[in-house]
Amino acid sequence: MKKAKKTLRYNLLLVLVISIFLPTLVNAQAASNETAILKLHYFNINNNVQYLLLESSTKKNKVFTPQKNILYKVYLDTVSNSNLISSIKTNDAGKAKMFFPPYLKSHWDKSSTHMFIVMKGDEEVLTDYYITKARLEIDTTTIDEIKNITVKVSKEDNGKLFPVPDVEMKVGIQRLVGVLSGGDEETYTSDSSGVVTVPFTKINMPGDSLGNLILVAKIEDNETLGNITVEKKAKWGVPMVLSEDFFSKRELWSTRFRSPYWLLFMAYAIIIGVYSTLIYLIVQLVKTIKIGKQGPPPLV
Amino acid sequence: MNLVWKIKQRSCNKIKKYKVENNNPISRDRIINDLVPKQFGKRGMIWTSILILICLIGAYAYYRQLTKGLVVTNMRDYVSWGIYISNFVFFVAISLVGSLITAILRLADVHWSTPLTRIAEIIAVSAIVFASLIIIVDMGRPERFMNLFLHGRLQSPIIWDVTVITTYFFISLFLLYLPLLPDLKILIAHRKPSVNKFHKLYVFLGSFWKGHKEQFRLNDKSINILCVMIIPVAFCIHTVTSWLFATTYRPGWDSTNFGAYFISGAFLVGAGAVVVAMYVFRRYYKLEKYITEFHFEKMGKIVVMLGLLYLYFNINEYLIPAFKMKKAEEEHLRELFSGSYSIMFWFAIFVGMLIPIFILITKKGRKPLPMFIAGIMVVVGAWFKRYLIVTPTLLHPFLPMQNVPESYKHYFPSWEEWAIAMGSLAGALLVITFFVRILPIIPIYETIIEQNEESQKDIAV
Amino acid sequence: MSESNKDHHNSRRNFLIGGISSAAALAGCLDNNHSFKTDEPVQLTGEKVKLLSVDGDIIEIDRAFLKPVPDLPSLTNDEERKGIAGKKFVMVIDLARCKNLRKCQSACNHMHQIHPGQNWIKVLGMEDSIHSAPYWQPTTCMHCDEPPCVKVCPVDATFKRQDGIVLIDSDRCIGCRFCMAACPYSTRVFNWEEPQLEEKVAEQHYSCETSMPQKKGTVGKCDFCPDMSRKGELPHCVQACPNGVFMFGDLNEDSVTNGSETFRFSDLIKEKAGYRLMEDLGTKPSVYYLPPVNRNFPYESGLENQTKEL
Repeated sequence: MKKAKKTLRYNLLLVLVISIFLPTLVNAQAASNETAILKLHYFNINNNVQYLLLESSTKKNKVFTPQKNILYKVYLDTVSNSNLISSIKTNDAGKAKMFFPPYLKSHWDKSSTHMFIVMKGDEEVLTDYYITKARLEIDTTTIDEIKNITVKVSKEDNGKLFPVPDVEMKVGIQRLVGVLSGGDEETYTSDSSGVVTVPFTKINMPGDSLGNLILVAKIEDNETLGNITVEKKAKWGVPMVLSEDFFSKRELWSTRFRSPYWLLFMAYAIIIGVYSTLIYLIVQLVKTIKIGKQGPPPLV
Repeated sequence: MNLVWKIKQRSCNKIKKYKVENNNPISRDRIINDLVPKQFGKRGMIWTSILILICLIGAYAYYRQLTKGLVVTNMRDYVSWGIYISNFVFFVAISLVGSLITAILRLADVHWSTPLTRIAEIIAVSAIVFASLIIIVDMGRPERFMNLFLHGRLQSPIIWDVTVITTYFFISLFLLYLPLLPDLKILIAHRKPSVNKFHKLYVFLGSFWKGHKEQFRLNDKSINILCVMIIPVAFCIHTVTSWLFATTYRPGWDSTNFGAYFISGAFLVGAGAVVVAMYVFRRYYKLEKYITEFHFEKMGKIVVMLGLLYLYFNINEYLIPAFKMKKAEEEHLRELFSGSYSIMFWFAIFVGMLIPIFILITKKGRKPLPMFIAGIMVVVGAWFKRYLIVTPTLLHPFLPMQNVPESYKHYFPSWEEWAIAMGSLAGALLVITFFVRILPIIPIYETIIEQNEESQKDIAV
Repeated sequence: MSESNKDHHNSRRNFLIGGISSAAALAGCLDNNHSFKTDEPVQLTGEKVKLLSVDGDIIEIDRAFLKPVPDLPSLTNDEERKGIAGKKFVMVIDLARCKNLRKCQSACNHMHQIHPGQNWIKVLGMEDSIHSAPYWQPTTCMHCDEPPCVKVCPVDATFKRQDGIVLIDSDRCIGCRFCMAACPYSTRVFNWEEPQLEEKVAEQHYSCETSMPQKKGTVGKCDFCPDMSRKGELPHCVQACPNGVFMFGDLNEDSVTNGSETFRFSDLIKEKAGYRLMEDLGTKPSVYYLPPVNRNFPYESGLENQTKEL
């Protein structure tokens, strides 16, 4: 009891000390240069689906920390309820993904270039993100047995499409989490007519079971166009060869259900041999016990 | 095989030898009086209490380990096996002796070993029990022990080990029990139930033994079968235990020699343990008439032979890799020969092998006391040898030890590990001690047979 | 499988193969890393949502795709043990690019809540002989095709999957540590005490694929982050490395990527003379190394981090 009291007293003291120093601690933290970083990305997939991705984080001493569970409102062109794209909270990774609701249609159709505004509470935290509607087209041609991927970039201006030169993009084959360049360059830039032609050099790439490859052209974080991706399937690869059925193998590293036959045979032969002998011995012992129950032997 | 005939044969051989030493065969009553289990004297009580105390300390250390996890040990990611595993190997090694004394000598028709068989068998049983216990102690998740049976994977040498150790335990138990049956009858009849503390136990274990000829015949046949069977199984337990190491790539373990190396070492330490036990029982229970200098002489020769055999395998095991000095082996071998493990290494070689061999190679060295000292040296040397087999190898991985706390790069057992290891050794000794308290350590019946050439038939025990 | 499930599965499969339909593209497009198509169907809600397309059309999409990361169906232990069909994961580590920054290590330690002092990735300062040049070698689990650790496991607690990944089931592991003795790469670590986990992590359901939450008395190691692969992302170490040392990919697709660059695996290994560690042991690792030639950084630039530890 006495001890408990003493502990309580210490605890109170501790609380007191903390409450005195805490505000200064917090201030000190705020004072050290922690910067909030907000990024907005526009995505256009196959000239069809579009969405925005918001990334919120803080940077301190070169370390980025995602800002979780923060409410943002994103507007199209002007801050008004009719222009609200989404009111959304960031997830654990500090990200929020939002699509364009149908009621924005008339507004969206009005202009070729749009601005996005991000609000955090009543504060406009991001206002300088502009996107011009664009179109990316991918096609395949074969000239003199040379396969080419042709990509054309165009952007909208007053309802009409014009080619865009000098756009950097990746052109190649969609692979696990990355685009493998179809030609010899890592990236390509569109010419004056907005066209990129990539001679396809990746011969005999494994595709799907029929040899289909998914060819992609991908513009990443372009200042005016955002992120645009288009895909096209082409039978330019070879069918993917999967190794023989993994689960039918009987190896030393297989599961217990797939022990090698020779091991099973050896092990069970030994176990059955030894334990049947042991059982035989137990039977002998039981016989001995039974004999004993007949009473003592006659004295000679 | 006709038992009576066999006993006759055996007794004839035997008695000639005894006659040289003791002119008069010992009478039946005298034998029974000499050999029935006796209450602990003062020294016995002290001995037992000390063992129990060590066990309790070990149990407390294990309680700490259970609550806090294996962090109480000084094992870490590099030395992931420590003193527990070396102690396990030691126990498995020592348990091999049961098969040596009982089976091999019996099958070779060597009869002088009769008084030693039960000593050997009880050492085997208690050692194998504590080998299994110490392996459970080493597990990070002992409560999942049943997974070994529920999800057992035949490809793993651990499953082989579990299987053969279980089998060896049953066979050893059988081999301990069957020759005990005639003795149980003697024990039941020896004292009135009212003064016989363990009367109920004796009745439970052996009241069915009435001494029928047929019972003898069946029992004798069973013992012979067991003797044949226990040899390969005993070889298996130790070979498989060596494979726990030899199936890895590590320097010092990656050896095709390992099975034979382990078995020869096991024979040596097992024989050493029997010598120690012989001496202690003989002194304490005044069994000079039964465990004679003749037995010491014989066992001494066996120990020398086994010591030389083990020495041979040691030379193989260290000279050949040292001759080549492959990169991975080099560091390991240098550490053993002249590095931080060199004192222990040469201690194990000299004290565990060379000096005992030199002691026992002389006739004077094969007297009980020097034999006892040599036996202790063999056993202690063997314990350190097992430590050297396990630990230094783990401190020499293929890739350098980096990105880990400093404590990960060394190993010396924590007090909990020592307590548990010593507790297990004490536990094994305790099992043997209690066994001796309850059951005769020297087979009474067989001794009677051998001492009375005249009227074996009359001894309807 | 019920009829409706079958439908979902089929529809998913269709757009996987088609790849052109909007839904497929969406499913694949999670942030900047695009369309990794696992054969794991996204758990569809059946609820359609109307959206505005680029051209100003109104289109319909399943609600499941609206989330930043579509919900994948939670996997049974059996599925986790089988792995992702049709994949054979492989990693390439370019030693010429490593300067011992250990961002991989800290990201991995953070994401897997590894016990302080222990690491699943170790960056080793290697010097093969006196006169050979020292280099930094990040060392992960090799995910061997002939895994010595799996061979010796007595209870199937560590196992090899069809996608090549070697995982540990901490609900099965008995803590015998035979696998640690068997692994020649010393890659495995043991939870010697109760792991210190964030409350949120400690409460989450155990999964072999996330290796989380770790459990006392069991073995842990690098798991190639199959949970990330299922989400279409790269393993934490690959993402964390600023120098692009790690490249991860699918051997069946013959390509590896570090996020910004993607290479044809066979060309890369051929051109840069890739090799595997301890080939002579016959373990057949899934991790390849590119030798430290034409280095981006001198060895000495990494010493700063090395001395910090000592």
